[in-house]
Amino acid sequence: MSLISKLAWRNIFRQKRRTILTILSMTGGFVLSSLAIGWMDGSYGGMILFFTNHRTGQIQVHKDGYLNDPSIYDTIDDYMSVGEQIEATDDVRAWAPRIYTGALLASRVQNSPPGIYANSAAASVVGIDPVMEQRATDFSDQITDGEMLTASPADSSLRATGQILLGRELAITLNVAVGDSLILFSQAADGSGADRRYIVTGIVSTGNTELDRASCYITMADAQLLFALEGRVHELVVMTNSLSDVERVTGEISAMTDPLGLSTAPWKVFAKEFYNGMQADEASLKIMLAIIIAVAALGVLNTILMMVLERRREFGVMKAIGTRPKSIVKMIVLEASIMGLVSVVLGSVISTIGLMILSKHGMILDPPLDYGGFTFREMVASITPGCYWIPAICVMVTASIVSLIPAVKAAHTDAAKSMRKV
Amino acid sequence: MNTDTENRSTNKNKVIVTRGLKKTYHDNGVPVEAVRGIDFTLTEGEFTAIIGPSGSGKTTFLNLMAGLDTPTDGEVELSGRLISNMSGKELSNYRRDHIGFIFQAYNLFPVLTVEENIEYIMLLQGIRKKERHERVMNILKQVELEDYADRLPSKLSGGQQQRVAVARAMVSKPKLIIADEPTANLDSNTSGDLLDMMRKLNEKTGMTFLFSTHDEIVMKRARKVVTLRDGLLDTAEESLIQ
Repeated sequence: MSLISKLAWRNIFRQKRRTILTILSMTGGFVLSSLAIGWMDGSYGGMILFFTNHRTGQIQVHKDGYLNDPSIYDTIDDYMSVGEQIEATDDVRAWAPRIYTGALLASRVQNSPPGIYANSAAASVVGIDPVMEQRATDFSDQITDGEMLTASPADSSLRATGQILLGRELAITLNVAVGDSLILFSQAADGSGADRRYIVTGIVSTGNTELDRASCYITMADAQLLFALEGRVHELVVMTNSLSDVERVTGEISAMTDPLGLSTAPWKVFAKEFYNGMQADEASLKIMLAIIIAVAALGVLNTILMMVLERRREFGVMKAIGTRPKSIVKMIVLEASIMGLVSVVLGSVISTIGLMILSKHGMILDPPLDYGGFTFREMVASITPGCYWIPAICVMVTASIVSLIPAVKAAHTDAAKSMRKV
Repeated sequence: MNTDTENRSTNKNKVIVTRGLKKTYHDNGVPVEAVRGIDFTLTEGEFTAIIGPSGSGKTTFLNLMAGLDTPTDGEVELSGRLISNMSGKELSNYRRDHIGFIFQAYNLFPVLTVEENIEYIMLLQGIRKKERHERVMNILKQVELEDYADRLPSKLSGGQQQRVAVARAMVSKPKLIIADEPTANLDSNTSGDLLDMMRKLNEKTGMTFLFSTHDEIVMKRARKVVTLRDGLLDTAEESLIQ
């Protein structure tokens, strides 16, 4: 150990109470930052999973330009073949096709004469493959009344009654319940009229009121037949094994789909508003972290300044007998860094305990939090590497920078003056 | 070799020479002339005490010679080199290599053991561990503290601490040892013992000692005493004691 390191190490134990206070101040900053990051990662990770599992998927594939200007004609042709290639990509857990178009839904008022449909509403019609959808998302968990669509082959005559799922608010508007019938009016991709009678088999409650006011769901086979989109879909949603795989898998799928005139986007792109909202929240959290670190830094600055003031005479002696000013700076910065290091170790232990509790038990949100159109009732923390390395760097850099000011002050101690005062 | 050095190479056995040395402080804007033009020469092997009443400028004069303070006017020359021409780094090296300090309040590093305190300067000089240890043990023997090498200063008496300070000042074999009131915090017996020991070391090693003091014990043991009064040397009161 060098002379300066030896002095720095031993000086830490000179004023034990002050050292403990300084370390506690830095440890406090570390723990608060670590918990905030764990909380943020856990909460946002949970929200992203909820958001993507619930509806959007983590990656979407569309015809080029569809995302900006959706049209019934912009379809993915031979989608099964594309989907199979996607499924063969590493870390792809599942995929599901979807058709989107608009329609007018009309229901009869009870006891009204035949042919009189008094309740009507415009809605977005989503064609889903019940089996593949259940593999990819938790859509079926959102059916609160009735049951999921069955994957029966479509009736080419379109005379038989099809199955439809309605969003909760849409069902209220149309005044229908499970078992009731309604008529769907729309236009097919070939320009022909598309209308059919459906029986409501279930009510969907996604937690997003806007979505549930304007969405209904029919089987893929029905949708392809009704809208003249045989063998074609508008969207493929893809789920990966982990959120951390999304960027890489998106790249791999893009390489495959780009030559086909298809574009592949991760959730950050197609759910831009949700992502931007999270980014804004993250920015607030970073400001909060900066405040936490600044408060801890002020504490450290204060104690190191006091220490420098008390040891002025000693610095004077050091200079008098030939110690270079830069060695004095090095010694004080080293003292602060050692305390910073101890704080990082201590903070890591305390943070791990706190994060484990928060990740296991979480926090019940009462009232629930509405975010990105969805309602979240519980938030949990997660333990990520960022919970440790970000606060560790903040503490170490802050300790070094903050100690520089008193260190330079100490290095410029006037030896003659400092020793004149006994 | 620069001109200054060439011109002054004749001062070979003169350890320190001051010419017209002046220092003026400003105390709350009021100029205080602490040293008012001192011409002084110290030759090799001297054991000299500077005496004078409080405020006579003793400490300021010593600080100027040690390069701890910069003169308002005049010059200080150590073994033929003007210290006023030195950069901060050179001055730092100059103090490290050529001057040993003994302070009134001992000023040992409280977190270092006796051995570590003594070897501090040698560490700065880059002397190898084996040689450092040998020199520390040798000087500890001379100051009769060989059994205290591993102790912290707080476990020593005032007299013992000052003997460690003497050892620290001497171990790097400087040209000059400056001691500012070295016995001020010691009782008379301890002061006498310390001065006897220092004089013995002076005789044995030929190292030059310069003290500032109020203490008659120090004055009696000095070979030469010079008096400082109102920032000036009182040449009439210079005396040689054999």
